[in-house]
Amino acid sequence: MAAESVLIVGGGPAGLEAARLLADIGTPVTLVEKRAELGGMPIAERYAALTHGFRDAESMINNMVGAVSASPLVDVRLGASVVEAEGEAGAFRVTVAKEGNGAGEVVEAGAVILATGFQHFDPGRETQTYGYYEYPDVITLSDAEGMLKDDVFLKANGDKPERVAFIQCVGSRDRQIGNEYCSKVCCGISSKLAIEVRERLPDTKCFIFYIDMRMYGFWENEIYWPAQEKHHVQYVKGIVTEVIKKGERLLIRGEDTTMGRPVEVPMDIVVLAVGMEPSRGTRDLAKVFGVKQNQYRFIEVPHDALDPVATSVPGVFVAGAAAGPKDLDDTMGMAGAAAIKAAAWIRKVVTAA
Amino acid sequence: MGLFADKYPDVSYEEKLRLWDEVKADARFPDYLYGCYECGICVSACPSARFYDFSPRKIAQAAAREDIELIYEQMNDDVWNCSQCFSCNRCPRQNSPGGVITVLREVAVNNGLKSAAQALEGYSRIVYKIMGTGTQVSPDMLQPDAFPDWGPQVKQVSDELDLWRRALPPETLHTTKASWQVDERTLIELYLIWYNTGVMDMIANVDEGLNLILSDVMEEMLEEAGYEI
Repeated sequence: MAAESVLIVGGGPAGLEAARLLADIGTPVTLVEKRAELGGMPIAERYAALTHGFRDAESMINNMVGAVSASPLVDVRLGASVVEAEGEAGAFRVTVAKEGNGAGEVVEAGAVILATGFQHFDPGRETQTYGYYEYPDVITLSDAEGMLKDDVFLKANGDKPERVAFIQCVGSRDRQIGNEYCSKVCCGISSKLAIEVRERLPDTKCFIFYIDMRMYGFWENEIYWPAQEKHHVQYVKGIVTEVIKKGERLLIRGEDTTMGRPVEVPMDIVVLAVGMEPSRGTRDLAKVFGVKQNQYRFIEVPHDALDPVATSVPGVFVAGAAAGPKDLDDTMGMAGAAAIKAAAWIRKVVTAA
Repeated sequence: MGLFADKYPDVSYEEKLRLWDEVKADARFPDYLYGCYECGICVSACPSARFYDFSPRKIAQAAAREDIELIYEQMNDDVWNCSQCFSCNRCPRQNSPGGVITVLREVAVNNGLKSAAQALEGYSRIVYKIMGTGTQVSPDMLQPDAFPDWGPQVKQVSDELDLWRRALPPETLHTTKASWQVDERTLIELYLIWYNTGVMDMIANVDEGLNLILSDVMEEMLEEAGYEI
């Protein structure tokens, strides 16, 4: 039986934006979110400020959540997962199960948008080079976001850090780990975090150890230039080889490649710029809907530039980081494209029939 | 503390920081340095970089990073390899590594760094000539001892100096003692500028003997012209 509503899986920025847009054009939406609240990673991982304008992440994402929650056309299912799907475009029958409750409810949908996102690379997954699980002062980007959200950026022992090092490309651009892609946002996020640290702790020096700085478009003069010119964040081309505990501090070893000199200096906090991997939800949902995944298990699209939201299954679309590493700019654009494609599919297959 | 081993551990961090603060306090400095991409466009444009182990990029990098120890190291060494041609000004960030070097050199001289005195030792004759006569390098200064870095052809030129000079058509350039004659009034104005802008103090910081000789020449002329020094 044909259905006029769209099922969106994932209540992060991509799912929220797609739901809002579909409701705006009068298309009913069922929004399924595994977590107990909407907002996705920025809320769940407690991000501090969003890039572009350094505005508070929580309030900006909550604006999106508010618009969706208030819409009579969006049926939000929290703490729920999609466990089974059958049917085809125009008439999907999807089983949605509440957390801890085996019996599922069948939801009918004319089209589906997968907005199941990413997870941060686990820096202890394959290599312990940087001692993430050994040393409390080795943290990840998302740990740093949470600390800055609480407005407290201190060592584990409560001391103020004199020197903070960011190590880029942890779990990205690495053939040995298997993630050969660039995670796209970490250069900007590290630079943004370094600015936030320098604003709070002007006596704390921040170093960013990088392979290439990838600061697209306006991130250049919104983040990269001010980080260097106004906040004196120090960029060093060269990746840290290892982190060693030395007394109360962390000794880092690497090379300053442009200066042509080895580096072996103490740091107080080391922030690992962990990249993106497909989330558990993305991997599971790809199987449930039978959509093709690429070699990194992100959802495969026909063409990353020209057809970025279609999948191998007609009527099933993808938005945001479920399809690969994306920044919020990409995610919003994809959400809009997925929303209109899903709506168009319903008009073509369901309404016209 | 910077990223590298300190090459001047006998000089205190506070002293190095004091000199760097003096560099940053220079009114020109904010226009000379923004941030560095480490792209190397300045190095590829730099004539000195072709002949010496010298990189305007590293000057900009160290300054942008505020690496106090490295800046002190450069202030004692690298900055004297720059020919101050400002080819490096083609920077996409609008830095002027050559301008940063100008300021670093001035701070080195004003603070009497031994390395500055050593670097400028070979220039005493030139400074004396310029400041004493108001003219540029004159042909008779093209001697192997004054310009060893010009290579063996300096000797060839200096041996036949009169002949080379006669080969130049303009009558006025047949002298080998001066580039041109500077009139007395101009010279007095130059002397006054050098006294009043602290140039004489800079000379004293790097070469006391030269300062004494120049003072003799200049003060006599200024007194005759009715100026009290």
